[in-house]
Amino acid sequence: MKSMHIRAGAAAMTGALLLGACGGGPGASGGDFTGGKLVLAVLNDQSGVYKDASGPGSVKAVKMAVADYKKKYGDAAVVDDIEVTSADHQNKPDIANTKAQELYERKGADIILDVPTSSAALAVATQAKNHHKLFIDVSAATTQLTGARCNKYTFQWAYDTYMLANGTGTTVTENGDKNWQLIYPDYEFGQDMTKSFTKAIKGAGGTVQGAIPTPFPNDNFATFLTKAGSTKPDVIGTMQAGGDLINMVKQFNASGLKEKGIDLAVGLMLITDIHSLGVDQFAGTMFTDPWYWNMDKETRAWADRFQHETGTRPSFEHAGNYSAALQYLEAVQRAKTDKADAVVGELAGKKTNDVFLHNGEIRAKDHLVIHDTYLARVKKPSQVKEDWDYEDIVTTIPAAKAFPTAEESGCSM
Amino acid sequence: MTQSVVRQTSVTEAHAAIVGSGSRRRWILLATGLVAALALPWLVYPPVAMDIAAMALFAIALDILIGYTGLLSFGHSAFWGSSAYMTGLIATHYGVPFPVAVVGGAVFAMVLALPIAYLSVRRSGIYFAMVTLAFGQMVYFVGYQWSGLTGGENGLQGVPRRFFGIELVETESFYFYYAALPILLLGMWAAWRIVHSPFGRVLVAIRDNTPRARALGYDVEKYKVIAFVLSAGLTGLAGGVFAISHGFVALTTLHWTTSGEVVLITLLGGIGTLWGGILGAFLVVMLADYLASSGFDGIDLVTGTVFVLVVLLFRRGIWGTVHHQWLTWLQRRTSPRRTQADADPAGPRP
Repeated sequence: MKSMHIRAGAAAMTGALLLGACGGGPGASGGDFTGGKLVLAVLNDQSGVYKDASGPGSVKAVKMAVADYKKKYGDAAVVDDIEVTSADHQNKPDIANTKAQELYERKGADIILDVPTSSAALAVATQAKNHHKLFIDVSAATTQLTGARCNKYTFQWAYDTYMLANGTGTTVTENGDKNWQLIYPDYEFGQDMTKSFTKAIKGAGGTVQGAIPTPFPNDNFATFLTKAGSTKPDVIGTMQAGGDLINMVKQFNASGLKEKGIDLAVGLMLITDIHSLGVDQFAGTMFTDPWYWNMDKETRAWADRFQHETGTRPSFEHAGNYSAALQYLEAVQRAKTDKADAVVGELAGKKTNDVFLHNGEIRAKDHLVIHDTYLARVKKPSQVKEDWDYEDIVTTIPAAKAFPTAEESGCSM
Repeated sequence: MTQSVVRQTSVTEAHAAIVGSGSRRRWILLATGLVAALALPWLVYPPVAMDIAAMALFAIALDILIGYTGLLSFGHSAFWGSSAYMTGLIATHYGVPFPVAVVGGAVFAMVLALPIAYLSVRRSGIYFAMVTLAFGQMVYFVGYQWSGLTGGENGLQGVPRRFFGIELVETESFYFYYAALPILLLGMWAAWRIVHSPFGRVLVAIRDNTPRARALGYDVEKYKVIAFVLSAGLTGLAGGVFAISHGFVALTTLHWTTSGEVVLITLLGGIGTLWGGILGAFLVVMLADYLASSGFDGIDLVTGTVFVLVVLLFRRGIWGTVHHQWLTWLQRRTSPRRTQADADPAGPRP
């Protein structure tokens, strides 16, 4: 406690020195900004298995948010000079750790956005806490970010494993698939998903016959599928993601389990996965989706803009990054500074709507952003009317039901 | 191949000792090196400077084995990583100042190295490299599976950096560098003492002609084990500083690619030179940092190409080649009638 005070004091002193050195910035817009500018950094996978799902598209989405902010406020904007920078963490926690430190210290980033891969996101959260700078996570799912490992400067914007399990696990069980076998990649995300799914399935009156860990990443799932099929479950739940999921689904479809009446439920699915494998491979699969580009006019209009910029339709992670950057800029506008504590104060507790957040609330107690989510079904090839038209939205899960309550998160800041 | 390079370098070394003009030059070098070490965080980003210094000691520690004992260890990540984890755990759970944690990590690395060394030194050459690689992988998987302790895939996060309550050192990478540098310099000094002691001379004798060393009555295996454990201890010092500097320990520290990287650094700089490790670490870390911040993906591609070029063009490594050229030039200056051929492989006879 004592050392925290001293540290805060030292930070304030350093800040004052820096400000003195900068002569107070340009001052044209009246705001109080370090170095006279605002720096948004996107830290994600620019080259590996999660490149398509967020990657360069998320950087573009953040740039779109900056453009919209500038357009909305024009001369009234509290800061003119807004920079968007990015870095590649290759899904490795140690690289994410080093890059986050660099972004905050060397590039003067005021906020880090995105950060897929749960272990990497946890490392960045620690850096955010130490540097007293913001981190809004969009693409990592672990509940620890806003649970046991939560901190004042970290927000979780789009989804978490609880939400995925609660939507898919509960609904599929209630629809009659009572007996489950789970197959999961043996690292933070897979372990957390399995815990959340088991809880949701049991809560809905189902049973989990077994949970089978696999290496990560992995190519050959045949033995795991055979093992899972041997207990004759109603459904096999796979927690694989990205490239692994694609292999898993291909091998499930070839295994003959489908013909024996065993269904496949997918823990985390992104529209980019469906796109790369084709709707026919996934047709009929139910899953929970935080956002879909073709839900309504507003999302479709935004998706058109995104496609114009990047050539593809947006995944929910792209839209989430846009929303996070936009809400951050709005908070900066209200706070008139880039000082993290002031901006956190503006964000926490805010209820808002935008293209991504429907009935959104940035919960003050654990910094989890709750919003309406959706149970989706993959269309049959005959139902697809245009490119990227892959999903039917079955039901809307209201924000309060979709996410854990603040008490359940177990966060104390 | 390694063997032949080793032998040539050893001759160069012996040559240098005989020529004897090395003393003054050594002081100039030492002073230059010290100034460079102190100036480094002013010139490059401080955490990168810390990485360079830690990798330099790592490479020097490995050079005791490769360059001076003729043992190519391909499992040194086991000591680098296990010390990093132990340092991280001590710092996290006991709240001691970081140098204490680092020493604890280094001691742990030495304890771990003892059985590994005992079993590995029964083989030499490529077999020794493979056995150490296998041990390295075993340690890696222990770290991976024992996730309750090591955090598994998530790594050991939020390692504190305590230093007697001195706030600047604990929070600012720039000041931390100066607090941690003495530990690394001490390690380098220890390495220098080891290779220039009678013990080090025995190691060189074992490297150059093991049967003869045995015939002279030296317990070859014992010497190799001691050299291995000392090397692991110095590696541990470097690994511990690395862990504290990053405030984070990842599985990568135990991965075989880390062993590969340090072998590359040592060969790049020039084996059997000690200074080569420092130069190699500076080049490789700076190159990786430059490529990473330029947004270029193929870091391994470039370092690999550089490595191939160095092996083709500078058989003795960069430092080794420069050193050799310098000696040749000196030789020619002091005795102009001698040809270079005399100066090269055999050296002057006493």
